[in-house]
Amino acid sequence: MSESGIDGERRRFIAFALAPSLIVLFAVAVLPAIYLVVTSLTPFQLTNPGSAIDFSAPLRNYRLLPGDPRFVNSLIVQAKLSCWSVLFQVLLGMLLALLLNVPSRFVEFARTFFLIPMVLPPIVVAVIWKLIYTPDISPLYYAAQALHVTMPALTSSVDFALTSIVIADTWEWLPFTFLMVLAALQTIPDEYSEAALVDGASRLQIFWYVTLPFITPILVISGMFRLIDSVKAFPLIFLLTSGGPGTVTEVTNYYAYLLAFDTNEIGYSSAVTVVMLLLVCGISLGLVWMGRRREAMA
Amino acid sequence: MNMPSSRRATPGRLAAISATLLILLSPFLWLLQMSFKSNDQILQFPPPLIFTPTLENYISLWHSAFSASFVNSLLSASLSTSLALLFGVPAAYALSRWTGRGKHSLSFAILVTRMAPPIAFTIPFFLFYRWIGLLDTITGLVLVYTSFNLPLVIWMMQPFFDTIPVSLEEAALVDGARTRTVFTRIVLPMVTPGIAATAILCFLYAWNDFFFALILTRTNARTAPVAVVNFMNYEGWEWGKIAAGGSLVMAPVLIFSLAVRRYLVSGLTAGAVKG
Repeated sequence: MSESGIDGERRRFIAFALAPSLIVLFAVAVLPAIYLVVTSLTPFQLTNPGSAIDFSAPLRNYRLLPGDPRFVNSLIVQAKLSCWSVLFQVLLGMLLALLLNVPSRFVEFARTFFLIPMVLPPIVVAVIWKLIYTPDISPLYYAAQALHVTMPALTSSVDFALTSIVIADTWEWLPFTFLMVLAALQTIPDEYSEAALVDGASRLQIFWYVTLPFITPILVISGMFRLIDSVKAFPLIFLLTSGGPGTVTEVTNYYAYLLAFDTNEIGYSSAVTVVMLLLVCGISLGLVWMGRRREAMA
Repeated sequence: MNMPSSRRATPGRLAAISATLLILLSPFLWLLQMSFKSNDQILQFPPPLIFTPTLENYISLWHSAFSASFVNSLLSASLSTSLALLFGVPAAYALSRWTGRGKHSLSFAILVTRMAPPIAFTIPFFLFYRWIGLLDTITGLVLVYTSFNLPLVIWMMQPFFDTIPVSLEEAALVDGARTRTVFTRIVLPMVTPGIAATAILCFLYAWNDFFFALILTRTNARTAPVAVVNFMNYEGWEWGKIAAGGSLVMAPVLIFSLAVRRYLVSGLTAGAVKG
């Protein structure tokens, strides 16, 4: 067999191996995305049969969006939820990683258990926090009662509902940032801090001038991952607050869900989803672009 | 060698680590202990920390519709994992060996298909399933989970194939073996650990799903995560069953995660990029 014969056969094999996946992805990812956009151009309601193919006012849904207070509110709620939970997750994850960055058999063994919240099924995480936020049954409220402290009802209070989601989300995803930072810490050669120590640097100075510059990129990257991912807090919101009280915890994702599957406004919900999708993609691409620029400058 | 003071396993630090771990895991442990309590014990104040464990919650789950949901979860997660591997592993190999232009764009495009929040897929899937009668079927769930996991398989497996020297395959090819044979006989056995880790992560993604199952199933194909939530109904919350159901749903996850601890990061970050 000639050299080109092998190449030809190889090329055919590669195409043959790749084709099924590309077909599947096209059918179940690209087509639905197109269909979503098409639906967003109609006033589609499940209860109104003709509405699915009514393209008489294609941009109507999009024109309504800026004037829809619930939509605008949902974006603000999502921004608050994302910013606070990403901030806490990065900070606490870093502290935890610093604490656990010691060469010890026991610590290495213990690390696995720190990952548990992240791998639990999201709905189980939501159930766990439902348990903690439900006064009749919650260990938190038991403790408060024993200490004669009056606890407000967290998930049904306008002031605390979003905070209670932030706390639960932080608990769930703190292990992720912890894991990323720990991996970065372990690449720092000991000689650096030893040298600084010999020069008489304090521990705080070592952290500030040696450790922090080393782990800054990973802090940014893990924060980015969490930021992009933070729209997926659905099970927590679904179970803990259902978007309430009022619309205090109603993120865009949840609003789109209610529109489509509670009030049957499929067309409008699709438009909300398309805008949300564009925002997520925009933010992701922006972050990737920033990351590239940082790399190019470094 | 003298460790710098910031990196020493002093007794104080070990105590701090243990205390942190206990605090971090206490919500999880609370659910677990509750699953072994009777309803009376659950409602007692102060809550008894030492009690005679009972299996009554688990037994009543076994005799309820929950066991069918559990089987549904097992079926949809394992079938979709098999399909995602069947399609994804050869594709990952192809991408790894393909040197042509557009390789990176294609890899990125594959990844982008999962950047979208689940609701973006749910609306079209819901309408389509409603039309062709796939709502509330295992087949419907398997299809969603397969598409959801395919990019993960391709992205997880590609680095494994990259580590296998091409010269090894070329030698076999020169000896007259066909590419297909080289792939199945030489390459695949070498990446078995990678396949196992990828399979477990796929299984976990499908197993953990709540959103798709909530919308695309009703009763026949209802999965365990949705069934747990159904114990919170208007007549009152059956906390014993909720706790036991929750514990059962997380059991396979805990076992499997320990098994693929090393690969968790790459798997989860790939998932994170897909948003």
